[in-house]
Amino acid sequence: MADDIVVLDHITKRFPRIVANDDISLSIKKGEIYALLGENGAGKSTLMSVLFGLYEPDEGRIFIRGKEVKITSPREASALNIGMVHQHFKLVSDQSVTENIILGIEPTVKKLGLFSKIDIKGARERIKKLSADFGLDVDPDAKIEDLPVSARQRVEILKMLYRDAEILIFDEPTAVLTPQEIESLLSVIKSLRDGGKTIVLITHKLDEIKKVADRCAILCRGKLVGVYDVDSISTQEMASLMVGYEYSDEVNKEEYTGGESILEVNNITLYNQDKVKVVDNVSFSVHKGEIVSIAGVAGNGQVELADVIAGMLTPSSGTIIYKGNDITDKTIRERTEAKIAYIPEDRQDVGLLLDYDLSVNLALKSYYHEPYCSKGILNPSEFRKNGEMLIKQYDIRSSEGCSTIVRSMSGGNQQKAIIAREISLDADLYIFVQPTRGLDVGAIKNIQERIIALRESGKAVLLISLELEEIMNLSDTIIVMYNGRIQAVKKRSEVTANEIGYYMMGAKHEA
Amino acid sequence: MKHKGYKKAIVRILGPGKAQYLRISLFCIFISLVAGSVLLLLLGKNPLEGYVSILQGAGFIPKARYAGHKSIFTDFMSLVNYTTPMIFASLSFAVAMRCGIFNINISGMMLFSGFIASITVGYSSIPAPFAQILVVLIAVVAGAFSGALIGWLKHRFNANEVVISIMFNYIVSYVISFFIQTMFINPTTRQSERVGDNAMLTGVDTMIGDLRMDVSYVFPLAIIAVILIGFMFSKTRIGFELKAVGMNHSASRYAGIRIGRSVIFSMALSGVLAGLAGVSYYLGTFASIQPRVVPSLGFDAIAVALLGNNNPLGCLLASFLVMTISNGTTYMSSRLGVLREIASLITGILLLFSACGGAFKALADKYKEELDNEIDGGESK
Amino acid sequence: MNSIIIDGLSFSLPLFIIAIGGIYSERSGITNLALEGLLGFGAFTGGLTAAIIYQFTAIGGTASMYIALFAALIGGMVYAMLHALLCIRFKANQVISGVVINILATALTAFLTNQINASLFGKASNRFVLEVSPRFSIPLLSEIPVLGAFFTSIYPFEIVILAVALIMWYILEKTPYGLRLRAAGDNPQAVDAAGVNVEMIRFSAVMVSGAMSGLGGMCFAYSISSNVSPSIFSGYGYLSIAAFIFGNWKIGPTFWACILFGFARSAGYSLVNVLALPSAYSDLVLTLPYIITVILLLFVSKANKAPKSLGEVYDKGKR
Repeated sequence: MADDIVVLDHITKRFPRIVANDDISLSIKKGEIYALLGENGAGKSTLMSVLFGLYEPDEGRIFIRGKEVKITSPREASALNIGMVHQHFKLVSDQSVTENIILGIEPTVKKLGLFSKIDIKGARERIKKLSADFGLDVDPDAKIEDLPVSARQRVEILKMLYRDAEILIFDEPTAVLTPQEIESLLSVIKSLRDGGKTIVLITHKLDEIKKVADRCAILCRGKLVGVYDVDSISTQEMASLMVGYEYSDEVNKEEYTGGESILEVNNITLYNQDKVKVVDNVSFSVHKGEIVSIAGVAGNGQVELADVIAGMLTPSSGTIIYKGNDITDKTIRERTEAKIAYIPEDRQDVGLLLDYDLSVNLALKSYYHEPYCSKGILNPSEFRKNGEMLIKQYDIRSSEGCSTIVRSMSGGNQQKAIIAREISLDADLYIFVQPTRGLDVGAIKNIQERIIALRESGKAVLLISLELEEIMNLSDTIIVMYNGRIQAVKKRSEVTANEIGYYMMGAKHEA
Repeated sequence: MKHKGYKKAIVRILGPGKAQYLRISLFCIFISLVAGSVLLLLLGKNPLEGYVSILQGAGFIPKARYAGHKSIFTDFMSLVNYTTPMIFASLSFAVAMRCGIFNINISGMMLFSGFIASITVGYSSIPAPFAQILVVLIAVVAGAFSGALIGWLKHRFNANEVVISIMFNYIVSYVISFFIQTMFINPTTRQSERVGDNAMLTGVDTMIGDLRMDVSYVFPLAIIAVILIGFMFSKTRIGFELKAVGMNHSASRYAGIRIGRSVIFSMALSGVLAGLAGVSYYLGTFASIQPRVVPSLGFDAIAVALLGNNNPLGCLLASFLVMTISNGTTYMSSRLGVLREIASLITGILLLFSACGGAFKALADKYKEELDNEIDGGESK
Repeated sequence: MNSIIIDGLSFSLPLFIIAIGGIYSERSGITNLALEGLLGFGAFTGGLTAAIIYQFTAIGGTASMYIALFAALIGGMVYAMLHALLCIRFKANQVISGVVINILATALTAFLTNQINASLFGKASNRFVLEVSPRFSIPLLSEIPVLGAFFTSIYPFEIVILAVALIMWYILEKTPYGLRLRAAGDNPQAVDAAGVNVEMIRFSAVMVSGAMSGLGGMCFAYSISSNVSPSIFSGYGYLSIAAFIFGNWKIGPTFWACILFGFARSAGYSLVNVLALPSAYSDLVLTLPYIITVILLLFVSKANKAPKSLGEVYDKGKR
């Protein structure tokens, strides 16, 4: 108990709909790497937000270095030498690394004994020293907006170190990194521990825990399952504890037999606003009754590729052939009418009009034609009819049925609404981007079954997902994208999850 | 716990539920009237007497006595005449705002169409009904043109419509001032020459029975505009698309709506309404243009539309309210012996509070949530 | 040529100081269309102060001018708190708040000027008459050919503006407060996470913009008309907004934008004079700064970068 730097004692945190943390007690030793493992929504981030002063717990006590404390703001957490690297970095993009690091605790010098001025020089020296001590390579004068994600993360780490943080919380730090970057981050984390810091690592990736963590606590649906020495538990055991049931790899679908080609993507290249090539000469095809999935770490051009096919982005070069016709220059609506359905990544900002009611959103792609609209006049009763039908068919839960404002619905039901709408279009090609992100286990299963049903009924499906498991479960053909390029194309039957994992990390390039 | 009663009261009055926006607008009006009363009290006047005389001046309550050929009806018709341009102008703002665009160029558009109509038809000898119809048509075309131009610039160049609009206001104002001063000036009034009665959209000093009054011929058009715009937003496809674009560009694009077309269309429509406001102002309420002056009505309309929650019917009512204050105050100032400038001051205060409407809503919604949570929390324990 | 420089400077500099105020507000994240109203209200306060000094004290011209400038600064600052309150505390739409503040300023100053003239000075007037500001030339320097005009018949306020502008630049670029302010307009979450009160930063930035606008407005009152009347609302506030948008929300480039506007205007006036055109032609000249703005804006719009969080309400709960 003496060397426990953090003790959480029976912490409970409730939100209006759920209990995010249910009576959780943990103690973390000084100088260890302590992993918090759990699925999305298991309550890891909430628990650490409680420790960092972002949320106040409804019940329970917190002890830091043996003393009971009340942490009500990040500022107080910081005073207790607790630092946190959030999933979304909190950096000022048009300022330099140094300016970002010193923000809020700027050192000053007097000029002419009169004017006080920020001591940029002194700060820069200190940052350089910290960088060198912990192997965090960053140019203190670079502007944040010019830096890649991994360097921004190092800035966030330096920010904590500059504030003399001793307890460092990392919230899913590897989600946005490439494999090489993950390696170097993990070695930074180790060197931080060797420098005497205490690390809390929030993650759902088992291999990372195996690599660096000393102990891990597993959370499942808000409850603490147990705390284990990493050396004494296998990844398989961790996985089943995390999910809460024995994980099965069984796929419930028939063998893919091949069908006529629906979509041909030829040499698509796309530059983004900053003139960076995000999709690089990509070609592939999708056939009737086939699920083609694109695997890859986030930010490797998959989402942009889907946007290009759906017409949301215009490619810099290349063509898209759909059912034999070139649709590269067609509008979004023309593609919809040609029977392409698209479930976008951002369901709240793209897929739905949050301030409209459910019935309108369930007809968002067909509102302009009969029977919803005749001669320019909308027909609300048709919207309602369609809405009620889909609500029933897809079990979309909402407080006021058709007239519920979509903003007030839960994420899972919003996603169900989008999927119901798109499937009801009776399209020939379905593009799903991360259809199950952030949903609970039941909803995920439901959506995956619907995707398979589409395939069984002879539709062509393009699935983009970050979840390797989902890809392995659903696909007939797997394409791996890395740095905007196709790294590998494999038949599902001829490949293992491990192999795909290697391709995703850019390790092996298929000739 | 102490504040629970007060929170409950706020939720009851302003909280979510039926006609929340209407209740909030009424609340804004109410506290503005309270603030106005304080102002009048500070000046040593009786607020009640003040408000009664405002209503008398605006033609809602009979005055003690009337001059020859005047009655409560003439006062009310005068109010209608002054309100007509405001209805058009506030609709103009609302149409653009619903599509997510700030049209601060209403003043400039009014001036532009008023000027074009004046010099083409206003100074001509085209006989009456044709001249008036032409004036309206010119307003529609000139307004649509200037609106579409700004919409296009915004869409094509991603130019900040607020700054562009403001610049256009000044350019239009100075250029028109130049033409008026070199070609159309009336040396005694220092304004442009009066337009002919044949082109006027207001019948000045029309005799109806024994009464002499100003009759706005385009007021019915304003009512029709309110109905049509209301219909467009609630029932039609194009109205739905404009609102969708105003809410969220990416989702609208995803639904297949063409953003550029919607933006340009809504600005053109906003321009048409601003054009109608312009002609009913410069060839109706007034008959000449003052050089170098941008009509402040174009700016007031922004806040009027806000008070009316960008809803056509709301715009109509808010226009009447604001113009009642500004028209009726002339009478109040003579009755109570306060300065006439108090009219715009009371209007300003009203607009100030209506700008806070969103805050009142947020506050009430927050309290509601807090109270609900307390109930939930209580149950779960 | 001389008059182009002399008049150009005396117009550009007040515009510049108002624009600096705008930069403070917008770089902290608060859209400020209220500059027009702020400068008008500031000038009103200054005018009132000058009138009171003239009527009731024995303080002489120059001293009274400095007091009036200071009063305008305070007046603008206090009035700006209304905009800050609406935008930050009441989370009103910032553009609408700006418009309303402007409308209210026009109404309020007109009413108060008339009321005060009537009750305090016993006359019916809608303006406060100011004493004519003295002007001076710097010996030697003013004798240099052509460029000497920059040092000829300078209003004292021009020096004041340059000094204040320098201080404002220093604060924005070199001090912790400036760093935090600039950060608040880009990523308020980062500022909050660093333990700094975002709302406080923004509130004070809007107050600074009021102070600068008040100062600038009073300078306009001295240089253009020697009185404070409703004509102070001639769009200079909006013009300075255009100036800093051009200047990409940076003080240095904004200075040149203001110089451009001022000199375009004074050059136009001189042209009308030299060609002996009727005075109506000056109206055409007056459009120059605005037309330049529109054209340049179309070209720079794509490259220009407004502060990232400009106009967005900062909600602490949202992460």
